[in-house]
Amino acid sequence: MNLVACTVVSNRELSPGNHLLTLKVPRAFAKPQPGQFIHLRIGDDGEPFLRRPYSLEGFFEQRGVRAVRIYFSVVGRGSKVLASQGAGKELDLIGPVGVGFAPRPRRTPILVAGGRGVAPLLFLSRRLRDRKRSFVFLFGARSRSELYGHREIRGGRLHLATDDGSVGYKGSVLDLLEREWVEGGHTPLTAEIFTCGPHGLLHGIADFARARGIRCEASLEGPMACAVGACRGCPVPLLPGADNGRYPAMCVEGPVMDATRVDWERLP
Amino acid sequence: MELRNPVLVASGIIGYGREYERLVSLDKIGGIVTKTVTLRPRAGNPPPRVCETASGLLNSIGIENPGLQGFLDAKVPILRELPCAVVVSVEGEDVDEFCQLVRGVDGSGVAQAIEVNISCPNVGPHGLKYSTDAGMAREVMSAIRPLTRLPLIAKLTPNVTRIAEIAQACEECGADAVSLVNTFIGMAVDSRTRKPILGTVLGGLSGPAIKPLALAKAWEVVQAVDIPVVGMGGITRPADAVEFLLVGATAVEVGTALFANPGLAEDCVDEIGAALARYGGTEIGDCIGSLEVPEGRGVVRAGRAMRTGRGGRAS
Repeated sequence: MNLVACTVVSNRELSPGNHLLTLKVPRAFAKPQPGQFIHLRIGDDGEPFLRRPYSLEGFFEQRGVRAVRIYFSVVGRGSKVLASQGAGKELDLIGPVGVGFAPRPRRTPILVAGGRGVAPLLFLSRRLRDRKRSFVFLFGARSRSELYGHREIRGGRLHLATDDGSVGYKGSVLDLLEREWVEGGHTPLTAEIFTCGPHGLLHGIADFARARGIRCEASLEGPMACAVGACRGCPVPLLPGADNGRYPAMCVEGPVMDATRVDWERLP
Repeated sequence: MELRNPVLVASGIIGYGREYERLVSLDKIGGIVTKTVTLRPRAGNPPPRVCETASGLLNSIGIENPGLQGFLDAKVPILRELPCAVVVSVEGEDVDEFCQLVRGVDGSGVAQAIEVNISCPNVGPHGLKYSTDAGMAREVMSAIRPLTRLPLIAKLTPNVTRIAEIAQACEECGADAVSLVNTFIGMAVDSRTRKPILGTVLGGLSGPAIKPLALAKAWEVVQAVDIPVVGMGGITRPADAVEFLLVGATAVEVGTALFANPGLAEDCVDEIGAALARYGGTEIGDCIGSLEVPEGRGVVRAGRAMRTGRGGRAS
């Protein structure tokens, strides 16, 4: 993890309010793991005042030039400013930060994405393909316009769900997971789940996994101040008995955590 | 207490040094103030603990820390290796806890000074009681003074009408310095959900939004005490650090803005040097308290125990 300068290569609005931002980074930026994030300075006039954490959608290296991508939605002050930063804009970032996904050998990874939570899972799917590992990718969004990146998924089996039925299964991606688990003949010894999305969805997936003893890693999202484990501003509440009531820091002990230990009721 | 330069990183910002070691050049700054240590381990407050406000950060961390024994076992060995001065911050629920903490930190040999945190707004009723009442401040400072030869720095809350009175009480009871300000009590509300944003409803406000308020408190206290004042609150641009020195602070602590700019403390060191050169000074004393103020102006009316002849230089 380092503080490095970065330059906006492109910043495209792919669908209303949803942006794909590509940043050129120097070699001092270490090769990241899927699930890790960057703590990005958004602008240079003090608005917003603090950095914002963004999960990496991808990391690319060609002829020694390194770039990272983030996929973000305009939801508040920071993302609004970030959406306005065009090519050539110089910013800086701290990263890569945090604990990423850790797929185990000889188990089928089932990737479950909700909305813009697809970003780190697209990164993970590319890494799995590079390692010639097959996977299942389940992706749910509110409607067709909020699906992103699914057309480029290679090396795995993809199923889509939308709340409005505009494409794929009509309903929650959690339904898709339940169906896949049964029809795919998966067991806790042969498969594991990697997920990211709204915390309500992650809560449902964690309950599903806990009830069946399935290993399940979720990438969490939340406000952070320092993002290096110093300020203790991003506590993750765990279920009773886990870690003696201590709150792990989402930034450096996450953002990818064992979903079955998280107390989703107390996580905002 | 000798410092390489007058710039410290404030408590609660940099953990125990290691967290930021790749991002902050500790060998360039005066020192760090550790995350506050309490007698027993504290898990801290429920989330959310932070919320960005207009030019500020509202926090309610609740002093998450490993407790005195955990500090001595796990953090002291790290702190010993740091290439800068270490000030250990302590907070007790009562006078007896403060005494145990001061003895423990003194015995560790790792601290160049102890910052007595009597001003945390986020740990329940005891957090503020020793810095919102001069009598209570006297009680705690008098009790810990005989227990150590280390410099004691009393960290004060701005959430009082007359901060100068609290500072004077600390001075009279043996404090070697006072540091100020801790955060201003604040609150953030989400009108869509009709709920408070912080898990504890109330929190402490820091960041550039509070700098003018903090400068005024420093100004008020500088005129009321003879011991050094460590100024902090909203230092965001390097020139902000110089401003605190000009109003009379002997040193400064950089806080929340370090999260946005990890190089800020080093930048402040450079800017203080540059300002000194501009003023034609040769040592830091040429800058401290050298604000040019018209005679009789800038009297803080809330402070009834003002002394004369200190603070601003007449012009």
